Amino acid sequence: MQQNDSSNESRFIFPAWANYLLPALALMGIGAATYLPAFVGLGFSAKTLNVGYAPEQPVPFSHAVHAGNLGIDCRYCHTSVEDAAFAAIPPTQTCMNCHEKVLPDSAKIQPVRESALTGKPIEWVKVHNLPDYVYFNHSAHVTRGVSCVSCHGRVDQMDTVTQVQPMSMSWCLDCHRKPETALRPADKVTDLTWQPPNGDQLKIGLELKEKLNIHSPAYMTSCSTCHR
Amino acid sequence: MSDPSHDNKTSGGTLKSPLFWIVFILVMGAVVSWLPLSIIAKRRFTTSDKPRIHIFQDMDQQPKYRPQAVNNLFADGRAMRQPVDGTVAFGDVQEDDHYYRGYAMTESEQQGKYQTSYFKGMPKQVTVDENFIRRGQQRYDIYCTPCHGADGFGQGTVHLRALELQQSTWVPPTSMHTDIVRDREEGHLFNTITHGIRNMPGYGKQIPVKDRWAIVAYIRALQLSQNAPVSDVPADVRPTLR
Repeated sequence: MQQNDSSNESRFIFPAWANYLLPALALMGIGAATYLPAFVGLGFSAKTLNVGYAPEQPVPFSHAVHAGNLGIDCRYCHTSVEDAAFAAIPPTQTCMNCHEKVLPDSAKIQPVRESALTGKPIEWVKVHNLPDYVYFNHSAHVTRGVSCVSCHGRVDQMDTVTQVQPMSMSWCLDCHRKPETALRPADKVTDLTWQPPNGDQLKIGLELKEKLNIHSPAYMTSCSTCHR
Repeated sequence: MSDPSHDNKTSGGTLKSPLFWIVFILVMGAVVSWLPLSIIAKRRFTTSDKPRIHIFQDMDQQPKYRPQAVNNLFADGRAMRQPVDGTVAFGDVQEDDHYYRGYAMTESEQQGKYQTSYFKGMPKQVTVDENFIRRGQQRYDIYCTPCHGADGFGQGTVHLRALELQQSTWVPPTSMHTDIVRDREEGHLFNTITHGIRNMPGYGKQIPVKDRWAIVAYIRALQLSQNAPVSDVPADVRPTLR
């Protein structure tokens, strides 16, 4: 196409750059077709939304010190986890079992002392918060050998508890379809460093699944297993 | 090239170059489109102390109380209520002194004076077998090892940490392997677990009654393991000792 000047005022002549319009449009189309699914898929995924939530707690309690360095069992504080749906947050008295005598003057545990004196509970912030229509039962999982670490990660290394798993429905179902990927001997549930013998999780998982008579995938993925 | 916007007006039907605002929008669009992506990347690879953005509520938060939730209707803010003082829950009458307390109070000759006597032996509600002692071992490892240590000599991690921090208020935990503790009645050990003793706090709230008896049984096994006469060792392995 030739460049034209004001001599062709009556006729509209497409300028040279108009040749690039179509390819440019096609490029934009491809861009949008990649961008939108990426935006929706990544932006609304449970991994983006849920993972990494690490709220500041009223007391800077470190699981890394207590469960990690001192090696205190999870159940020392979360006593109800084997018997109830809810893994109870310990009462202030549990903190005072030791802190009555250890670091009794520390500024960090001032709220704990205050709570022990007044009887007003410490308002810990819930980190792992499932939707209210999900009836997750801790006892059903830990007594059959699903470890704390499967859902909560290496809490024994966390100074601030952080959510490490998406805890979405599809994430739950991944395991409900294949429980053998998470099963371990029930007495190793609170051992967060446990590794399957010879690194073969599926072998021991399938053995335990058979032994414990774990429900069929049809039952495990039925709506009423988790919802009521 | 001259200013396109100026030229466009004078050149009638021809546009020598794309309109400035179109180019501007396209370039800005390309730049701004990275903004959500970078926010997503940040959410995926860093932690945040803010709860998730929750656009579609979908009944995720329902007006009901979950365990240990806050209810400001009550002065103490707890949704879970404490039992009313002076009431006993159904099936929770703890009549049996031996099983529930480990000691009995008997009125002595002098009126109004009570004597405490600890029960010897295990209560009839529990059967001591291997499973029971294994259960006791597991519970001991959870609740007792932090101070008393897995071997019962009182060298638990919390004790060592307290020494490391040079806590003047810290009192070393008692070893299970002394004649004083060995000679204590089972009921006394049970009561110690329940209500504590001297500097040890009570564990009655953390450990159910039956598990406390299991721990008592395990402590007996633990004590025996460190205080067994040579005659208890089978004759064929006796030469391997020491």
